[in-house]
Amino acid sequence: MRPEIKEYNFDWMMCSIMMAASKTADGSLKEYQRLCEYIPYFRGILDPFVQEGKPGISFLKLFSDYMNNIVTAHDQGKKVGMTTFCFSPAILYSIGVVPVTLEILSTLGALMWKRGTADYLDYCVEQGLTETACSAQRGAMGAYLAGLGSEIDFVVCDTPGVCDTNANSFAFAASYLDKPFYQLNYPQTLSDDRTEKYHIADYRAMIEFLEQQTGRKLDMDQLKEILEEIKIQDQLVADLEELHRLVPTPLPVIYNLMIYGGRFMFAGDHKYTRLLTEMLQAAGEKAKKGLSGLRSGKEKIRAFLCYIDHYSMNLKFYDWLDDHGIAHMGGILSRTFTAGSCYLDGLEGSAYAIDTSSMEAILNSIAQMNARMPMVRSIRGQYDKPGMWLDETLSLVKMFKVDCVIYNGTPGCRNTWGMVKPYAMDLEKHGYPTHIMNSDAFDDRVESWEATVERLDEFFNVRGLL
Amino acid sequence: MMDAFYEAASKIDSQPIRSWKERGGKIVGYTCSYVPSEIFHAADILPVRLRGIETESMEIADAYFGPYICTFPKCILQLAGKGKYTFMDGVIITPGCDSMRRLDECWRKAGDTHPGIVPDFFYYFDVPHKTTEHGIQWFMEEINHMISALENQFNVSITPEKLQSSIREFNRGRKLLQELEDMRAKTDIVISGTDAYAVTMAGTVMHRNEFTVLLENLVKELKQKKAAKNDKRKRIMVIGSISDDISLIQLVEKENEAVVVAENLCFGVRYEGAEISENDDAVSALAHAYLGESKCPRMYGKYKERLASLKQIIDRTHIDGVIMQNVRFCDLHGSENGLFERDLEKEGIPCLRIEREYGPLVETGRLKMRIDAFFERLYK
Repeated sequence: MRPEIKEYNFDWMMCSIMMAASKTADGSLKEYQRLCEYIPYFRGILDPFVQEGKPGISFLKLFSDYMNNIVTAHDQGKKVGMTTFCFSPAILYSIGVVPVTLEILSTLGALMWKRGTADYLDYCVEQGLTETACSAQRGAMGAYLAGLGSEIDFVVCDTPGVCDTNANSFAFAASYLDKPFYQLNYPQTLSDDRTEKYHIADYRAMIEFLEQQTGRKLDMDQLKEILEEIKIQDQLVADLEELHRLVPTPLPVIYNLMIYGGRFMFAGDHKYTRLLTEMLQAAGEKAKKGLSGLRSGKEKIRAFLCYIDHYSMNLKFYDWLDDHGIAHMGGILSRTFTAGSCYLDGLEGSAYAIDTSSMEAILNSIAQMNARMPMVRSIRGQYDKPGMWLDETLSLVKMFKVDCVIYNGTPGCRNTWGMVKPYAMDLEKHGYPTHIMNSDAFDDRVESWEATVERLDEFFNVRGLL
Repeated sequence: MMDAFYEAASKIDSQPIRSWKERGGKIVGYTCSYVPSEIFHAADILPVRLRGIETESMEIADAYFGPYICTFPKCILQLAGKGKYTFMDGVIITPGCDSMRRLDECWRKAGDTHPGIVPDFFYYFDVPHKTTEHGIQWFMEEINHMISALENQFNVSITPEKLQSSIREFNRGRKLLQELEDMRAKTDIVISGTDAYAVTMAGTVMHRNEFTVLLENLVKELKQKKAAKNDKRKRIMVIGSISDDISLIQLVEKENEAVVVAENLCFGVRYEGAEISENDDAVSALAHAYLGESKCPRMYGKYKERLASLKQIIDRTHIDGVIMQNVRFCDLHGSENGLFERDLEKEGIPCLRIEREYGPLVETGRLKMRIDAFFERLYK
């Protein structure tokens, strides 16, 4: 790592940027426009959020709060746990732990810095992690390995059995930093009794681990409160999903990122509820007028991102979709899979329900919810088995009246790259044109943005979609 | 005698497989060392570890697997697509790692365009990633399910008595392999690393009883053998990603003043070493033995145990240097090698860390150059 990079603390730097960003819209429009002239590198990410009005600005504030929590955690007497996006932070909040979710920080870095997180990505490799490991973790992990972030107290992840590269990176970080480690392990199946029992047994063992690490007992009242709040949030997301079904969809492209970003940062927190309420209100107003959420107001086509979005180079991917009249119809990250969701026909085992009637019910609910977080739900077993990736995709594309499917991931995603070709062949057989992007969602050095756009253009033109 | 081991170790369609088929025997292939071979032995089925040697092209595998995937499962798929595995009556796929577990879908889908390559018995064996009570319980249930599936498919009966008898037979081989390892650990060198690796490789293909007899004879012969005096060759350990190609070990030993005296590789003695309890319930004994030791980096969070075990072998076998290799895209071994390198070098143990492509040593020149440079360091 370059010495000058080592001069700056990663999470403090990110925190101060996000704090400043979250305040940019507090002044007058003129002040904001003047400010934009002075932030050529940040404008690309700031402006799309600010343009969304209240929800966009709230989302920036959410990021700011998230970062502030991390950098002040130890001062507040809280432990810091390194974790992953598909692990619900609800349990950590209920035991007073501040999550450092690597993928959130990698996304932030990739989105807002001109060079992305290149230095941190490479630092992991310098320290022994393979260069083929997933950039979603490496982007932020490098900073923590270099001691440029808040000290991590322990590491907890839930990807063994689902995503080796992810689990391996967390295990590496724990060994490298010599920190306690717990892995929630998921079987290849999702919804049978045996699997559910395994989910619960493993989750309970994890709670014991958390109690050991924090020296605190899990506060069941607080957990209940958090789960009740998640129930409200899930309902709000379900309402947004209902609006998303409309043609044209009143949801702006960027709402998908806001739905899952907020969930990964603050599930069960009032802040996220407020954000969703604002989003619902804004989208509802557009829906009443029959307006599209796209900036142009014209929805030409609806694309489903069957895996993750593309985060490097500011928000260029989202802008590209918007500029071309392509509505972003969500992906595996943006659906909660809470019971009662509109897309669950034939996928009932994939859903979770929150029951807070007893201590037992609360623990079972959170264990089953966690087992149905994005990725650990969709791509754990064989993709063509009931309820897995193919079934889930087909259900969602039908429900949201999708015209085409786009796969984007990272070269580090051994799991999806091991099956995406036959999966895409199957989707094509079902009549859905499917494009496999070769880029890295977090590292534009893998494929230049220009090359990514060339291939997207080619897909949409050759397939006669635009 | 070594010819028999080399025959089995270096060919897909080897003599032991041909003669077993000629006798009307059934064969089930498997992809991972977490599959207890004793179960097949008890059913009088020949378990054969699937391999990637003899691959000459990759067009079938590339059609189904993405580009960022370890070449080992790709080679298996390529061979399957070319009809090299049609002697298999069944295949067991395990989630050893992500690349390997997706062999399941890719192989099945390739069967649509290459009819006849998917055996009737195509089974998924879900191995957990932890050794907790519920992990072992899950694994025991998986073993029981697989036993039932085999019984139904092949019309056989796998009784606890038969399983225990098979465990005893496998333990005989394990004891002999341990004796072989003890001999390799001594400073008097009586067997090359290449020969020793060929022996353990052969054990993944040959019928166990036949293998044990041959091994017994080899061990007897080696006990009589006189080692060369003042052998100054450097003693090397090879660890890391899956390797079923004896020429990798050969490359280290050939032209270098070196002998490979230990490995920690998935195809080596790593899993053969531990004896399995002959007195406990057979399924429980198998589950504890196969899952319990966390020797593969797929068992996350057990790095310290694996480092301790590695150091123990290094001390016992008087290692001069460790060669750590990983197949490209094998993040598990590649990253753990990074940690091993850091921790072993700190203790003054020279390490060479290399990434390579799996296949018929497609990178021999580059690997040789790096290995030669490593020996220059060792001989300094």
